[in-house]
Amino acid sequence: MEFKDYYQVLGVSKTATADDIKKAYRKLARKYHPDVSKEADAAARMAEVNEANAVLSDPEKREAYDALGRQAPHRPGQDFRPPPNWDAGFEFSDGAGTAGGPDGEFSDFFEQLFGRHARAQRAQSHYREAPRDAEWGGTPQPSRGNDHHARIELDLLDAYQGAERSLTLRGARLDDAGRMVHEQRNLQVKIPKGVREGQLIRLTGQGSPGTGGAPAGDLFLEVQFKPDPRWRAIDRDVYQPVAVAPWEAELGAVIEVHTPAGALEVTVPAHWKSARKLRLKGRGIPAATPGDLYLELSVALPPAHSDAERAAYTAMAKAFPRFDPRATPGA
Amino acid sequence: MTTAHNTPNVQPGELLDDTALFSLEDLARICHVAPGWVSERLEAGLLQADSLGGHWRFASATVVRARRLAQLETTFDADPQLAALTADLIEEVAHLRQRLQHLEAAMGHGPRPG
Repeated sequence: MEFKDYYQVLGVSKTATADDIKKAYRKLARKYHPDVSKEADAAARMAEVNEANAVLSDPEKREAYDALGRQAPHRPGQDFRPPPNWDAGFEFSDGAGTAGGPDGEFSDFFEQLFGRHARAQRAQSHYREAPRDAEWGGTPQPSRGNDHHARIELDLLDAYQGAERSLTLRGARLDDAGRMVHEQRNLQVKIPKGVREGQLIRLTGQGSPGTGGAPAGDLFLEVQFKPDPRWRAIDRDVYQPVAVAPWEAELGAVIEVHTPAGALEVTVPAHWKSARKLRLKGRGIPAATPGDLYLELSVALPPAHSDAERAAYTAMAKAFPRFDPRATPGA
Repeated sequence: MTTAHNTPNVQPGELLDDTALFSLEDLARICHVAPGWVSERLEAGLLQADSLGGHWRFASATVVRARRLAQLETTFDADPQLAALTADLIEEVAHLRQRLQHLEAAMGHGPRPG
């Protein structure tokens, strides 16, 4: 087990005041919070920062941690075993107000030092209502396992067809001795047809195991679609850019379009108007009330490489002597 | 300590759409907050819900938002209104980034650094 220097993690001195610690924590939380961070290892750093804050912002834990440092000085990363009865004489309350967040996870180091308090802490963070967990030899009460949350990226086609995906998820749980055990598991998940961006998929019983015979929690997967130049979804509606030739745009045509709903023949009406969209009702994401598919038409000009192709453009210019593409303001 | 195990069988996913709504107690449990926390934010208009048979029901998108609010409030000791404003901005930025990615992909540009 590696020794952790919580002061170093938060970037504060050993004499830092509670206010200094709070400021340092918020500054780092701003940097690594999963909703705002662009750092590659944001989740891991946030967990580390949460843990350091959980210890240093709690006077009881900080006092015990400081005393441990005086008893057995270690450098960060150095192999460490807490001395027997290292916390003798220290009294810990339930740790309310020191939770790192709903998904706080703690390292082996933290669990070895504060594990038996951590369970109570997780059960009683500021807003939690979960029943009190095992405390100081008390009998554990049956408690439903925690729910887990993860984001997954899917292709829009998965929403049309449904899919089976292999997911690798990392998590942690407490073993029977109250120690944190990190786990990695692979799940084969059946993605239902009709899924939308921001929607949740629930995998019942795939969260943390319950205690005392209570059921396991659930795993919630939040769906995001991978960016795709071919199409994008807004709620159940799907938007697809489609290029048409100048003659198709002006004269009208029947064209074949490869959409997420399959290859379709679509009639392009005559007389081009810019920003024209064609609505294909019910061809959006499938549902009891399916979305619509909007084809966003744009004119593609054929490049003139050969003499014949250049001559065709010259003839076109002669055929439209009064056409002024800059007649519209801003054109 | 790290353990790894595989679960080869296929887990069926249940789609939580507008017809599979969460109760106030469900939402509180998922967000690790007390039901009163949800009620307060509902009354303040920071969370949206429908009333069915005299009970509040929440769509799955509200679960994502409520979790975000709870995390912001806990991490930054944030005022609920301020956390909601931040959540609004995060949602707006995510939406705009998605549009930008789409436009860049359509124009054949690579993603922007960062």
